[in-house]
Amino acid sequence: MSAMSQTAERPQAAARGGSGGDVALTAWQVAYEQRAFWRNRTRAFFSFGMPIMLLLLFGSLNSGGRIAELGNIPYVTFFLPGILAYGIVITQFINMAGGLAIQRDSGLLKRMRGTPLPGWAYVAGRVGSTTAVSVVMGVVMLILGRVFYDVHLRAEAIPAVVVAVLLGSATFAALGMAAVSIIPNAEAAPVVANVLILPLSFISGIWYPMTGAPQWLHDLANVFPVARLANCLHVAFDPLNHGSAWSGSDLLVLAIWLVVGVRLAMRFWQKETAR
Amino acid sequence: MVPMQHAIEINGLRKAYGDMEAVRGISFTVAPGEVFCLLGPNGAGKTTTTEILEGYRARSAGDVRVLGHDPEQGERALRERVGIVLQEAAAQAELTVAEVLTMYGRYYPRRRPPAELLELVGLEGRADDRVKLLSGGQKRRLDLALALVGDPDLLFLDEPTTGFDPSARRHAWSTIKDLCALGKTVFLTTHFMDEAQALADRVAVMVEGRIVALGTPEEIGGRDVAPTEISFVLPDGTALADLPDLDGARVSEPAPGRALIVSTEAVRSAHALTGWALERNHELRGFAVSQPSLEDVYLRLTAREPEEAVR
Repeated sequence: MSAMSQTAERPQAAARGGSGGDVALTAWQVAYEQRAFWRNRTRAFFSFGMPIMLLLLFGSLNSGGRIAELGNIPYVTFFLPGILAYGIVITQFINMAGGLAIQRDSGLLKRMRGTPLPGWAYVAGRVGSTTAVSVVMGVVMLILGRVFYDVHLRAEAIPAVVVAVLLGSATFAALGMAAVSIIPNAEAAPVVANVLILPLSFISGIWYPMTGAPQWLHDLANVFPVARLANCLHVAFDPLNHGSAWSGSDLLVLAIWLVVGVRLAMRFWQKETAR
Repeated sequence: MVPMQHAIEINGLRKAYGDMEAVRGISFTVAPGEVFCLLGPNGAGKTTTTEILEGYRARSAGDVRVLGHDPEQGERALRERVGIVLQEAAAQAELTVAEVLTMYGRYYPRRRPPAELLELVGLEGRADDRVKLLSGGQKRRLDLALALVGDPDLLFLDEPTTGFDPSARRHAWSTIKDLCALGKTVFLTTHFMDEAQALADRVAVMVEGRIVALGTPEEIGGRDVAPTEISFVLPDGTALADLPDLDGARVSEPAPGRALIVSTEAVRSAHALTGWALERNHELRGFAVSQPSLEDVYLRLTAREPEEAVR
């Protein structure tokens, strides 16, 4: 992008202090994070390509399948919102936890803290970038679902899906940041992140419906945000649901986790960026 | 605006980690435009001191002013005027050198163009390479370029040439000297004596959390007034006892066949020795007259208990 190199030659652009300048700075951070994200092909595949691949794989394997427990809806109609939730969790949580652990261990966060860039602008740049990835992933999944598997999202449900994707992205990004404190070093990051996420995904109705599971397992899963995000999307996508596409209690629990995540993440930021 | 006396001012600085006191009450000032070097063995408290000045750590006691600010407050106005080269810090690996310089440049109100920075640190031609492809030494040069991107008034260099080959070190030194010519204040830590000697206007030697000596590289630790050392290989068939009377100089044989004369009257002693040799037609191989090197002084200072040290 030549626009970047051009503005670089202008010695005194917007950067000074004011909040307008900081918003512009954050937008630039998103742009640079995006560039770095897509250039790292392994990471881009793992967090963007794999959920989409799983959709195609499970969708094709079960193309004629229906789920009797859920009123005989097609399997893919059930699977798409779940794998979208899973994709958001992977992109936000694992990327944030793993990426920041690497940046902490390599001293990059310490370097950033020595610059005038406000800490919040750096974090907002990263969250903005990964959220953009989640949004693009959601759009791609919707198109694929529509074209190949006849999955329809009714127009009234679109705002509920958008809100769930954005709130879920923010929540898991914040929790990923908070999780860096319990990740001892960058090599351990994927392991720790997967140990936290994979079992939760199994009890959260992402791969198959939880209709046969005992109540205590439901209750346990519902404490955590993975099931809540999946449920928001399931409610919005459910073809048999002709009422509200919103799931207020799930959004509320997600919001509580967001607040907890942000609080923990702020504590992390003070401690870990000086390390 | 209040006129500023010092670029850095430290008074009674202490830092304790639990029971361990890493910095035990140090005081010094650094003048604007000065290159100040903190020299000391590992664990002396150099990095702790530097990181307090950089704003990464909170102090336990004492006053600290950096460009008139308290670095602990983390004020943006201060960060805009300071450049930091950490001992070890990565930059964004997937971005190119030019992109990284442009990105960091946006954080500062005053900024230097990437091309100028690349020339200054000797990375011309690498602008479009990804950071992850740079060699270790090239990454260090990028560190310096990134520290300079905001055209800082004060530059912190924490062991900036560790891991450099000799020619890269010379190049880095000349870069740092160029910066001094621009009026930048430089706060440097190193454990290389020659680096302190080549760059510093003043050197502080830190041992076990205390400053044990402070002065110019020429005078530190009483180097300028210390006795001169004269050494040479004893000619065949002669011993220390055969040497002329050297009038109060200390004569010794640190290694077999090698004479060492420590004299407070170097000219007189040298004259006596060379006269004696000419008379007998001896060649004094390895004849050398020297002041104690900065390294000698440093080793002496760091080996001692801090209380006995020469100030």
